Amino acid sequence: MSGVVEIDVTLPLPRFALRVEATLPAGVTAVMGPSGAGKTSLLESVAGLRGATGRVAVGGEPLLDTARGVSLPPERRRVGYVPQDSGLFPHLSVLGNVRFGARADHGAVEAAIDTLEIRPLLDRRPLTLSGGERQRVALARALATRPRLLLLDEPLAALDVRLRERVLPWLLRVRDEWALPCVYVTHNVGEALAVASHLVVMREGRVEAAGEPRALLGAPALAAEAEAGIENLMPGHVVSHDDAGGITRVRTEAGLDVAVTLSAARPPGTPVTLAIRAEDVLVATGPVTGLSARNAYAGRLLAIDRTGVDVTLRCALDAGGAEMLARITPAAVASLGLRPGGPVWLAVKSHSIRLL
Amino acid sequence: MLAGLWPSVAAGEEVVVFAAASLADALREIGSAFEARTGHRVVLSVGGSNDLARQIRAGAPAEVFVSASAERMDEVERAGLVRAADRVDLLSNRLVVIVPVVASAVPATAEDLASVRRLALGDPQAVPAGIYARQWLEKRGLWGRVRARVVPTLDVRAALAAVESGNADAGIVYRTDAAISRRVRVALEVPAGEAPRIVYPAALLAGARGAPARPLNPPRPAPAAPEGLARRGVELLPAR
Amino acid sequence: MGAGDLQVVAFTLQMAATATAAILVPGVAAAFFLAGYRGPGRGALETILSLPLVLPPTAVGLALLELLGRNRPVGAWLAAHGVEVVFTWKAVVLATAVMSFPLLVRSARTAFEEVDPRLVGLARTLGCGPAAAFFRVTMPLAWRGVLAGTVLAFSRALGEFGATIMVAGNIPGRTQTLALAIFHETQLGRDERAAGLAAVTVALAFAALWLTEWLVRRRSRTEGA
Repeated sequence: MSGVVEIDVTLPLPRFALRVEATLPAGVTAVMGPSGAGKTSLLESVAGLRGATGRVAVGGEPLLDTARGVSLPPERRRVGYVPQDSGLFPHLSVLGNVRFGARADHGAVEAAIDTLEIRPLLDRRPLTLSGGERQRVALARALATRPRLLLLDEPLAALDVRLRERVLPWLLRVRDEWALPCVYVTHNVGEALAVASHLVVMREGRVEAAGEPRALLGAPALAAEAEAGIENLMPGHVVSHDDAGGITRVRTEAGLDVAVTLSAARPPGTPVTLAIRAEDVLVATGPVTGLSARNAYAGRLLAIDRTGVDVTLRCALDAGGAEMLARITPAAVASLGLRPGGPVWLAVKSHSIRLL
Repeated sequence: MLAGLWPSVAAGEEVVVFAAASLADALREIGSAFEARTGHRVVLSVGGSNDLARQIRAGAPAEVFVSASAERMDEVERAGLVRAADRVDLLSNRLVVIVPVVASAVPATAEDLASVRRLALGDPQAVPAGIYARQWLEKRGLWGRVRARVVPTLDVRAALAAVESGNADAGIVYRTDAAISRRVRVALEVPAGEAPRIVYPAALLAGARGAPARPLNPPRPAPAAPEGLARRGVELLPAR
Repeated sequence: MGAGDLQVVAFTLQMAATATAAILVPGVAAAFFLAGYRGPGRGALETILSLPLVLPPTAVGLALLELLGRNRPVGAWLAAHGVEVVFTWKAVVLATAVMSFPLLVRSARTAFEEVDPRLVGLARTLGCGPAAAFFRVTMPLAWRGVLAGTVLAFSRALGEFGATIMVAGNIPGRTQTLALAIFHETQLGRDERAAGLAAVTVALAFAALWLTEWLVRRRSRTEGA
């Protein structure tokens, strides 16, 4: 029961009514949907910043229960909120910000600073920080209050792609080290896949779909909103380095052997996550030879989905059954004569794989 | 009477008169009579004589000035705006001590003024009525004790208003002022012997249109005038 | 400047400071309320509070007299309890307070409106009740604007004339402020003395306004637009 978030709220909004009923299992739940679907209003209602009616409970404890006359004010809900633009207090230093809600709990403050690795920044003022640094401080500030639920409103959206990839690891650390139930609003499919174990899709104030992220991935609703992000994320660990060959070998949890460009800083055994863009995946109808790409895998095509002007192919690799997404043009689909259920070979250059 | 002051103004003209506040009502009545008889229009501006004198010296377009004290008229004369021949001591007045008509505590003698909580006077440094009042109290040896209770006002009518509203417990104004108000009553009248000589000089100012055809004679009052003035308590000074 | 003039200056500063102190808490509270209130009657409330800014000061003075004169309801009640207002220093404080109030409210309200409300919401999620959020987030971000409004109100209080002369009279030594003293000197025909006193008011007003400007400029620089 602990960590389970029950939501059943109603809130009138200008264009429609927010009416969300969902039970989120412990762990990170990603919330996706078009702009204006009510995602932020949902977070605000859970945090108590907006007056919704209904019921919100975390681990069985009610934050809101209109039927029983319970409506905790925000300061009593112990919900950590990290907005899109970090919302740091400009008149306080980084340390002042992190300590803001912690009262006497030095332990939580120190743990938050360590997790987000912001100790060198403590004396700085928010205005002097980069976007990524600000998000980390905002996260630390929320964590330092030992919240029972974390709400993240598109925390990486204001960052450029490169910065996003650098902050993502900290999000993963927070998830792993703090074990808090977390609701994570995002437009980015890659982030959702990397971080969340549960996915809720919203449209016009209602839940349109809910379930396991990978399963919902091809859904038209998501496809329409998905940014060009990192669709293929595979956790694994470093196996060995080949200095002469300039590659590092990684084995994914699903049993796939992948060669990436040399990253000697990570010793063998280091857990890593591989990130491959769908559009970097080459598709062939037969085994590939004489190709520079170091990574080629046989598999079967599961589904063909139109995503805007492109086509996304969902494939299952023979090795370990891992799934991989490839993005190609409709012309390619036609000329290759691809059909669901048919065999495919996927190839990825070492340079196209990023290590997280 | 006014006709005696400026004999050669063309018919239908406007005549601007600056007059001490205490004469406001009396002059309004006389002015209307004058307008009816001659067809001229009288523009009357009243206030503290010190204020009016300052405005005249600064160039205000007044043609006749009736001041409540000789000193104020002297100032105007020194500024070269009045010819001695065009000036005449016209009126006099009496000082009275007034209280609100609903007052319970009424000063019976001058000494009682020392125990009044707030005494309204025209500014005893600047306004003639206030100066006269101060001179009287100084003469009686009471000024030292009374001055801390004084509320100085812009002109004598403002002192009257302060007593009418009850915001001052008593005031010293002219008999003419007390006469027009139903919300005050006279507690005591300053005897002629004690009071300073109150003189209202009137003069034709240098800015008046049309020089007098002959040197100003002491005015021969029209029959109606003295009654109108007497009704208000103003005394007409005997012609010199 | 003679001793009498120093007394007038000291009295004026004292009265202006008292009036400003008196309106500080109600003014800031009203400004805070207006900054956050979006309900019905907001416009009407703002307009009423701003009236003394636009009305002739003598009209305001008249209204105060109607309220506080000895024969008027409030004045009579006060007099019955031994409190005299009209023609005393209390009337000076009251008249200047009423005339300065809208200036403080306007400046402070702008300062509060410039505080990002989301920051306040975040403070709430971090454990602050409404009062704590006000003192720990809103005020630290708005204090320069509030202070500027206070100094502006003080400057206005220094120069108040119309309402003051109607309710407090121009009693030397008891209710005569610099502004009233200037008027009095002209009444007495002492124009050079009046000019001297006027120069003092210019110096005081200049200092106060310059301080206000400096505060406002510093605010936009340190917090970042």
